Amino acid sequence: MQSESTLTQQLLLSIAEQIKLPLLQISRQAELAAMGLDPDYEQVRILAENGMHLIDGYSLGVKLTNRHDFELTPEAVSVPAILYDAKTQLSSFANLYNIDLELSTGGRIGPVLAHRQGLQSAIIALTSALIEALPAQADGSQKMLQLATHKCRYGVVAGVYGNFPSLSNDVLRTGRKLYGISRQPLVTISHTSGSGIFVADEIFRVMNLKLRVSRHHRLYGLGVVLQPSSQLALI
Amino acid sequence: MNKSYILLIEPDRIFARTIQKALESNGFKVKVFHCGQDALIAANTTTPSLVVCEVQLVGHSGIEFLYELRSYSDWQNIPVIINSIVPPSEFVDCRQGLSRDLAVAAYLYKPHTSLKQLIKTISLTLNSVANEAT
Repeated sequence: MQSESTLTQQLLLSIAEQIKLPLLQISRQAELAAMGLDPDYEQVRILAENGMHLIDGYSLGVKLTNRHDFELTPEAVSVPAILYDAKTQLSSFANLYNIDLELSTGGRIGPVLAHRQGLQSAIIALTSALIEALPAQADGSQKMLQLATHKCRYGVVAGVYGNFPSLSNDVLRTGRKLYGISRQPLVTISHTSGSGIFVADEIFRVMNLKLRVSRHHRLYGLGVVLQPSSQLALI
Repeated sequence: MNKSYILLIEPDRIFARTIQKALESNGFKVKVFHCGQDALIAANTTTPSLVVCEVQLVGHSGIEFLYELRSYSDWQNIPVIINSIVPPSEFVDCRQGLSRDLAVAAYLYKPHTSLKQLIKTISLTLNSVANEAT
């Protein structure tokens, strides 16, 4: 069993590897400018912001783990609102990767019990990691990710889904063992360290939730089962 | 004007676009692929003058792609440059294999390789291939 400090150190290593990518992208844009070619300043802004989202997610995970300034008291949270917010924040980033970020919140989904900020940060970190991963899939024909919610036997699922046929619980389990150690812990899913997925995983773990591989219609993805807030459902 | 055809295998779409822009502005014709399998299919249609490849890909690694590329007699002499996020120090034990078995002309570490350096390495490699041919 790993201690919590080991986990956060592993996560930090994973993020250190991941953060190289936006820094490299920004640095090369600056070089394009020096070469007299048109750099994309909007792209630079979006990449920098996305890097900061990841760091914010990590620090929230660490703070929640150490219970610094944070109460983990769950409150009634609307999942569609959380997903809508993630879509708004990440649409420009998805556009850079030519991905349509869609919302799939069909059916009547009532509020769930969760730590709002934790859930929001985890969904953003998860979506961001899958946006980077999707174009590098062998069958890259489909360029769409769905931020989705649906009811299941155990509660309400909130997750991110796309064309990831090789995603399985075994892949995720291996990734959990390897992140921070391997450069590419989710080798069949992502060419990066996939740290957004592990940041989300860590935040969910602190919230006593478990990130799982799940399906939404015909899409594969990662989601978490949340408990409905029965008190508010009566209103 | 240089019209060498470069096959670029780069999993990150944004980074690929940046490299493509820099290479095209220097007169190269570039085709981008995000995984090795698609690149092999493309190489079958038009043989590239040079391959620039990342080793850290989704599924099959860039090294596996190179072994497959080299297994076909038509493609054994295509020069290959590795441009990777993986530091070359991690390939110390198999450096001989990279140069001898896979005929990798150069191994570039992305964080330390500017676009100018990449273009220069590509030009030098293509020139040396042209000189050997004459």
